[in-house]
Amino acid sequence: MFRVKSEQSMPQQSSNETIIAQGVKVEGDFHSQGDVVIDGEVNGSIETTQALTIGQSARIHADVTAKSAVIAGEVKGNIHASERLELLATSVIQGDVETQNLSIATGARVNGKITMGEMEKTE
Amino acid sequence: MYCYLYDEFIQENKRYERELLDIENRLTDLGIAGKISRLALFRNAEEMIRDEIDRGVKTVVVLGNDDTVRKVLDVISESKIVLGLIPIGPKNELARLLGIPNGVAACDILSARRIEQIDVGTINGRKFITGVRVPEFKAELMCNNGKYRIVPTSRADLEIQNLADVSNPCDGMLRANIHSSIRRGWGPFARHQETQSVLPFQFLAIRSDKPISLFADGEEMQGTRFDIGVEAMMLKVITGKDRVFV
Repeated sequence: MFRVKSEQSMPQQSSNETIIAQGVKVEGDFHSQGDVVIDGEVNGSIETTQALTIGQSARIHADVTAKSAVIAGEVKGNIHASERLELLATSVIQGDVETQNLSIATGARVNGKITMGEMEKTE
Repeated sequence: MYCYLYDEFIQENKRYERELLDIENRLTDLGIAGKISRLALFRNAEEMIRDEIDRGVKTVVVLGNDDTVRKVLDVISESKIVLGLIPIGPKNELARLLGIPNGVAACDILSARRIEQIDVGTINGRKFITGVRVPEFKAELMCNNGKYRIVPTSRADLEIQNLADVSNPCDGMLRANIHSSIRRGWGPFARHQETQSVLPFQFLAIRSDKPISLFADGEEMQGTRFDIGVEAMMLKVITGKDRVFV
């Protein structure tokens, strides 16, 4: 009974999640140790050791490195997802893709080389 | 050993006379009465606290509001002594976040002595507890030693949080929230959509070509360069069970 009450009174955010929303632009080498959600603009590079979500409104001109990624927006640059990459129907990729597990929805556009399998073998 | 620091405004205002008497009586009943130091126009609050620490004080209890805490925050956090609050009057947001009720009810919280260690933010060397607010933010944020920068592309407000309703002050991080207003459509059909960017960090810098105003714990600062960081677990503070963090 007391536990439920204390949980309700502390709606704290996940401490390491980064959100780049619309109306914000990132320039340079963006590096994070936590989950990243991007709906804004990024020019440079993106690197996270956790999950990356790129929303439909995002405009990315950057090389992307993540553990796993879900992409719904536009990416101009190479994508490296060490575990899993999911390209949604609205995604537009102009660059090479390298991942272990790939899911591409109908309507997604990829212009580039796709490399799949064990990362060690590809390197 | 307790030291009670009375702010100037509660001594001058007759409205608080009765409340102060009740507080002093309650502190005596609870056996935690101590020395009383009174702030005054030409008295340096930090020097007063240092003198008391030299005399062996381990807990400083501030009677006043957020402004009173700000006057002594630097010296208390550096001295590693315990901060207690008895909020009196308006502008007591910090006490609310720490779960401390106004007036005489705060004496029981002091007596229970539930001490938490929390992070303290720094801005250009000046400490803050709750956060920093930059209305109409038009500058840029330099992060990760300048490796990347963040700029708003539309009208935005910046809020940097340490102790807030949705921010944990014990994680060794600060949180920058950029509230943007995006214009959609055109002409009379245009509408505004609010978005929020969230960036956890340990150090960032605000750089601006023109001087900007910001508010650290409600106190206004002006300048073109602000370096903001966090000192983990720097402040020991007495909290109530209704505090907003774990």
